Amino acid sequence: MPADKEELKAIREAREKWERGTLRKGMERLGLKEPMVSFFTPADLEGHDFLENVGFPGEFPFTAGRHAIPIHLPFWGRGKTLGGGKTIRHAFGYAGYGTAEDMRDYYIERGKTGVRGGGPNIAFDLPTQTGYDSDDELAEGEVGRVGVAVDTLQDFETIYEPFVGDMELDRIASNWTINATTNIILAMYVALAQKRGIPLDKLRGTPQNDILKEFVARGTHIFPIQHSMRMVRDTFTYCSEHLPNLNTISICGYHMREAGATRVQAVAFAFANAIAYFELALGAGLEIDAFAPKTTFLNFGGGMEVLKEAAVRRAARRVWAKIMRDRFGSRDPRNWIYKELGGGLTGYWPMTIQRPLNNLVRVVIGAVFAAMIGEPPACEPPYDEPLGLGHSIEARQLAADASRIIVEECKLCDVQDVFAGSYYVESLTNRYEKEIVDLIAKIDEMGGAVKAVESGWMKDQIIQSAREYQRRVESGEEVRVGVNKYTEPDEIEIRIPRTSPYKAERREDAEERQIAKLRKIKAERDNEKVRACLERIGNAARDEKANLIPFFVDAVKAYATVGEICRVLRGVFGEVH
Amino acid sequence: MERGRKIRVLVAKVGLDGHDKGAILVASALRDAGMEVIYTGLRRTVDDVVNAALQEDVDVVGVSILSGAHRKVAEKMLARMKAQGIGDRPLIMGGVIPEEDIPLLKQMGVAGVFTQSASFREIVQFIHDIAGGNRK
Repeated sequence: MPADKEELKAIREAREKWERGTLRKGMERLGLKEPMVSFFTPADLEGHDFLENVGFPGEFPFTAGRHAIPIHLPFWGRGKTLGGGKTIRHAFGYAGYGTAEDMRDYYIERGKTGVRGGGPNIAFDLPTQTGYDSDDELAEGEVGRVGVAVDTLQDFETIYEPFVGDMELDRIASNWTINATTNIILAMYVALAQKRGIPLDKLRGTPQNDILKEFVARGTHIFPIQHSMRMVRDTFTYCSEHLPNLNTISICGYHMREAGATRVQAVAFAFANAIAYFELALGAGLEIDAFAPKTTFLNFGGGMEVLKEAAVRRAARRVWAKIMRDRFGSRDPRNWIYKELGGGLTGYWPMTIQRPLNNLVRVVIGAVFAAMIGEPPACEPPYDEPLGLGHSIEARQLAADASRIIVEECKLCDVQDVFAGSYYVESLTNRYEKEIVDLIAKIDEMGGAVKAVESGWMKDQIIQSAREYQRRVESGEEVRVGVNKYTEPDEIEIRIPRTSPYKAERREDAEERQIAKLRKIKAERDNEKVRACLERIGNAARDEKANLIPFFVDAVKAYATVGEICRVLRGVFGEVH
Repeated sequence: MERGRKIRVLVAKVGLDGHDKGAILVASALRDAGMEVIYTGLRRTVDDVVNAALQEDVDVVGVSILSGAHRKVAEKMLARMKAQGIGDRPLIMGGVIPEEDIPLLKQMGVAGVFTQSASFREIVQFIHDIAGGNRK
């Protein structure tokens, strides 16, 4: 119920009196020209309607929470929480290095500690992500670095060796951080399941597959945009037919935020990209309420101004619910929920290499505010994020414990959306909703996200924001503790031991071992069959209507490599950097 | 090298790493500092970059890398620059490079290494110092 007009008038008058009196006196006493702080009242929320703008958790417009009960809570501490609890230590968190053999051994070793956290969450190396074989000149030095190297189905078979019995493919969900080469990796999973006799409709997993944000922020795109989008369409249609329990896409705002987008840009661009994917699926003849449940969002990233981060998420929940209900005509309210995987509000870019333990403080603050809006209080990333590849087990332990303290000692998740009714946060939520909606409308006018990405506009907007932020850091307007302020010689750097979860010596010779394995398989496989499969892929690629995934499945079964398949596709589609 | 010419810098992304925020921001900071900057764009080979350095007659080559491939890239870049007769031009590197690898890179012949902890002021100053001799 909005405050009535007379009440608002009285508040405005009282405020004016306060500003002229108490506030001004305070400023005079302290010698201030500006008050330094602000204060919000019901007058800042004129027309605010609780039922319309906030509502109950788990109900439209979902401002107060995506679910009546945050889904991480009932599982907390039982090994299945996404944002903390036992998962961070015990589940197979996002990981990948070296060769398939190295990853297999990593999973076996982690499994010995009692892990029953689900399937692997695989980081792939850059050659795999960009469609080059490990022996390609461009891959030199990159094999097995930022993730595991996958050249052929044999690598996938090796990675999944520990996943048998009660961890069989029909009992786990995998996560693959892969974009341009998604459908080849998907084909490997299909081939693996078929070889093991697992019905495809039992497979669960999530490929990232968000190619649009690669063009603007992450940079592992390969093919021109229309061909890239066609590959995403293929994922949608193939999965709807053969892999009904597999997610098709994980739409990301976070990489754009990391690349410098403002919080409003990250949300608006992610939603604009989502709209483009959904229109693609609709155009392929799929029904909104049939494919939407199998789409998900990664997250929006974040920053240190956590009240604003909390508000932008509350706004995002509302914007997405309206897009689904009003723009796409979805009739199932479950599909109106913005499904976000992570909840950390501070993101990765605020982490500093200087005095790295400060990063633990930073992520804990973000997690506290995540808890207060009903998101999992993920203390993510572990504090040693800027120090190099692979979080140490000590940093992971500290992050896990911090989340546990937030939930179990502070009991911060016991109340849903403590900001509901806050004059400040509600007014900010309203402002962000408007800004997000306006920015999406602007992209609509350009012809949608595909056009906005293709023209370079979206990337340019992000770069401008990044430059502006950097300018403020360099000038000292934005303070980064230990970076551009408080850097005197008496400040000390506090470090604790860091034990890598990966074996350094294995990463060192991974490239050599991977190339030897690749050469062996190329010599031993039926090369005539591979050639025929590749030719069929080329032909299918030229037919815009064809779905390429069945051709990829045949090719990977013949042990064609990711690089060989992509070379054929590069030949047909062309390539963009 | 004619006197009074602006310092020319090539900023490059070598290999498959797609993170270009740092490279783009450093490029603009160098431009703001009055240098002429050529940015290669993503996913260049060592040959691409060294050829561009030759053609553009740059004074300094800067390579941004966040993928962990810095040692291999440094080794190849230095060898190629030498082979192409521009071994005298300083190669500097930036990105996510573990502290323990920095002495190694310098020993190999990389003139300067700038990680996340570097300010633009430092980078600009460094380039002025190593390349500014007879250029302004």
